[in-house]
Amino acid sequence: MKSFRWAEPKSVEQAVALLAAGQGKTYLMSGGTDLLGQLKEGIIEADVVVDLAAIPGLSDIRKDKDGLKIGALTTIAELASDPAAGQDYPGLRRAGSVIASPQLRNMGTVGGNICQRPRCWYFRNAGIICFKKGGDRCFAFEGRNKYHAIFGGSPCYIVYPSDLAPMLLALDAVVAIATPQGERTLPLGKFYALPDVDVQRENVLAPGELVREVRLPPPAKGARSAYLKLEERGAWDFALVSCAVAASGPARSPSSLRIAMGGVAPIPWRLSGVEAALKGKSLTDAAIRTAVRAALKEAVPLSENGYKSALVETAVSRAVLSIA
Amino acid sequence: MKTDDIIEDGNLDYLRDAMGAEPTGQEQPPTPPAEFRWVGWPVPRVDGRLIVTGRAKYIHDLSFEGMLHARILRSPYASAEIVSLDTTAAEALPGVMGVLKLKEGRVKYEGEQVAAVAAVDETTADTAIELIKVEYKELPHVISAEAAMAEGAPRVQDAPNVQKFNEYTRGDIDQGFASAEVTLERTYRTRFEIHHPLETHASVAWWKDDELTVWDSTQAVHNTHDGLARMLNIPAGKLRVICQYMGGGFGSKLGANEHTAAAARLSQLTGRPVKVALSRKENSLCVGNRPSTVITIKGGAKKDGTLTALHLKNYTSGGVGRGDRSSEPLRDIYKCPNVKVEEYTVFINAGGSRPTRAPGHVQGTFALEGFMEEFAGELGMDPLELRRKNYSTSNLGQTGNPYSSKGLDECYTLGAEKIGWAKRNKKPGAAPGTKKRGLGMATQIWWGAGTPGTAAEVKVHPDGSVEAICGTQDIGGGTRTFMATVTADTLGLEPKDITVKLGDTTYPWAPNSGGSQTAPSVAPAIRDAALKAADWLKELAAKKLKIPAAGIVIAGGKLFDKASPEKSIAFADCLRDQYREAVFQGLRGDLPAGFAYNSFGAHFAEVEVDTETGQVKVLRVAAAHEIGRVLNRLTAESQVAGGITQGLSAGLFEERVTDEYSGKMLNTNLEDYKIATAEDMPEMTFLFVDKPDPRINNLGDKGLGEPPRIPSTAAIANAVYNAIGVHLREIPMTPDRVLKALAAKEAGS
Repeated sequence: MKSFRWAEPKSVEQAVALLAAGQGKTYLMSGGTDLLGQLKEGIIEADVVVDLAAIPGLSDIRKDKDGLKIGALTTIAELASDPAAGQDYPGLRRAGSVIASPQLRNMGTVGGNICQRPRCWYFRNAGIICFKKGGDRCFAFEGRNKYHAIFGGSPCYIVYPSDLAPMLLALDAVVAIATPQGERTLPLGKFYALPDVDVQRENVLAPGELVREVRLPPPAKGARSAYLKLEERGAWDFALVSCAVAASGPARSPSSLRIAMGGVAPIPWRLSGVEAALKGKSLTDAAIRTAVRAALKEAVPLSENGYKSALVETAVSRAVLSIA
Repeated sequence: MKTDDIIEDGNLDYLRDAMGAEPTGQEQPPTPPAEFRWVGWPVPRVDGRLIVTGRAKYIHDLSFEGMLHARILRSPYASAEIVSLDTTAAEALPGVMGVLKLKEGRVKYEGEQVAAVAAVDETTADTAIELIKVEYKELPHVISAEAAMAEGAPRVQDAPNVQKFNEYTRGDIDQGFASAEVTLERTYRTRFEIHHPLETHASVAWWKDDELTVWDSTQAVHNTHDGLARMLNIPAGKLRVICQYMGGGFGSKLGANEHTAAAARLSQLTGRPVKVALSRKENSLCVGNRPSTVITIKGGAKKDGTLTALHLKNYTSGGVGRGDRSSEPLRDIYKCPNVKVEEYTVFINAGGSRPTRAPGHVQGTFALEGFMEEFAGELGMDPLELRRKNYSTSNLGQTGNPYSSKGLDECYTLGAEKIGWAKRNKKPGAAPGTKKRGLGMATQIWWGAGTPGTAAEVKVHPDGSVEAICGTQDIGGGTRTFMATVTADTLGLEPKDITVKLGDTTYPWAPNSGGSQTAPSVAPAIRDAALKAADWLKELAAKKLKIPAAGIVIAGGKLFDKASPEKSIAFADCLRDQYREAVFQGLRGDLPAGFAYNSFGAHFAEVEVDTETGQVKVLRVAAAHEIGRVLNRLTAESQVAGGITQGLSAGLFEERVTDEYSGKMLNTNLEDYKIATAEDMPEMTFLFVDKPDPRINNLGDKGLGEPPRIPSTAAIANAVYNAIGVHLREIPMTPDRVLKALAAKEAGS
């Protein structure tokens, strides 16, 4: 691992200034659970690491009339045990509590989780230079791809690994971003970008920008949410497929229904077609599966990940019915 | 009272008081032998407190004044020619004390050693490695056995990629199939597994004044000693190997390593101690793996289940090393008159194999016992009945001799009763719904008789203190503890009275801790030495008590007259007028001829399969073992729990993934190479037949190292078959494979 300089800004403004200063490659660190792995494995080389830990006010969860505001440095463990988050957004608590392992939940943060880099085993191998690292091919496309994308893949077939991101997307979250010019906000649905936009990045943060907060609208009447994660092993595993659902209104035919998938695409993947097909319908297993099968016609499975289609169907049905 | 308190107080009696009322998880309360106070009882590890408080020093923990850190540069290519190797820049880096070129010519797998450096700290060593310039000419590689077997495939070695390495025949296979009324042929596949001990391979070498001392994380101090002396071409008498504590090996640490030899050379070069500790990635690539297998079994039987023929063909790959002979279970377990075996190894460009906890038996049992389960379905028989029908009381595959002891039938009974075998799905897959439960079982045979010639010493000092000494090692199985309990029981003392010394080649010879041979080698040798000490002590006491030695009993820290116990003398009082220590040498004697010595067991598993997601949850495992006398119920249970864990892990999760195009291994970490977590573990029951073998050694104990790892995967796979009505015939049984098998079944029906 190459040596780097270490910065401990005391304010978001200082942190943003450090990022914008562009003194070589600058990386942000919150919990470090992803960054340290990348540094040690030689996936990235840093000139400057900006540690956010000393900045006050970034690790609060605040509830007010506008909804819930989650500071970027809130740990996953704090989120998963927060009473306000748990009461109004049970799916979010669930998503937080099934992430990785207790140690990683104690260190990992909400901001870090939604900005984490992909786990693709080609990307994480320092000896392999793929599209994402400036190379000229996606090794997974014709290689070992059982964990890779069935939607939105070309030209890079990573899946976005976050458990929080699909849940936050279903909950219609907004990301508050600190920029050198002040704050800007973006709906989470516009925060992520597919590889055909910029294959080396997963989100639209500009240089000099950092996520300072995630905001959730207040729960509508009868609001409910759920997160279902299908893993290979019982803990410390990324989702093969996960399904986040948020709904409000009458139980069997909700007035609002949002479905977002994890583990299937390079970004958290909204199933808008399924939401539309189910609008005004009575939610039954058969109706849900019919709608999901139609959506799966857009899926482009690779040689080893075709099974994900079956998992998507089951995950959506089970998750939606769990709150119907 | 908590376990912690027990260890703190040394109050082991508590355990015995508690056993009646509150057994420690086992359904079958132990009935330890009356003649022993410690042996056979559940005794906490004598070094448990040191280990869990972090005070036990593992090799990774060792540090010496002036110690250098070595790093190894390894080939990034699966197959390449080294055109040039330039270490000039590394040598010039301040802090670098030594550089070695380790390879020229062709590299045959990713991770093969190319060069090594020793530097004042790890960061400098890392930097130096990056400064070494190697020009490679990439050559074509083969990463999978399928590719290696294809016509025109590039050769891995200077010989064809496919080599026949084992064949065996008994009876007449054609005759056997001709007389069969039912036949079945099935192919089973297992993938490469990596050992992944918690402590990665590590050594410290210190070459000083023409003598070399090596601290090594090893399962075999004496084998490492012998191997290093040969590799370094130095007199074995100038070499000493030490291993006090090590974090597991599972077969990957059975002898001298290339990186240890490199550290020794660097120490010779620099005159300073040199430490080399491999990364998890290096551990994944270049210190062994469990070979893959593709095993086809064809069997024939009469309608009543009597086997008439078994034919096994195995294509196994061990990378640049040899694959595993996987036919022993098929040759030995069942009374089949006509058997044929053909085994082929397939070379590929990947790190060489090493023995992996029950080499060959794990893969062979997965195949054989899967086949027996499917064959029972074909015959319309209860799978356990089919096994009982073909029960063998002699070892047909090797010597033809009768087993000295075989408690497999009792294992079947104990396990079947515990799991509720009678309640299994009579027709596999018949259970309704999308979460299907099933029961399965599998049989195990293994060696584990111990090695004649194992030596040990018991030293008795004039102050009454006692040492038990053996050049064995404790790889986590509890060797220290049984050395203490066996000595204590033989001398009428308590385990805390015994100072145990092991893990050093200056101590008497003992074999490697592999093949389940530690307990049946070392315990009898210690027992032999301690019995000699006891005889001597009885002579001393006889003189002092003025009674014949023959009537003296040694127990409870005293020696006393059996006829009138008030005539007694304290242990230490016997020795006060001695002016030197007395040393008693013990040997593990020969195995009486004319018998076969094997261990046996059977695992029974219950699983639940989600047929919509392909997820398998193991709910319960009942593990029954016959290993002669159980030396320590607590460590025996721990050993079985470990075997179940590894078997479950391999059955459901573990698989080395390599990329055909780049030739690289993709899951060289514990995130992507998935090992079972606590969440995945089932309810476990530990059952022991616990009857001393009448002739195997002076304690009647067999080894338990490998046995619990052997049948666990197969039992789980068979339970999955019983649940969903289709046998996967391939591990790990990941959701994609389960769904694929279910879809194939759907399409076929």
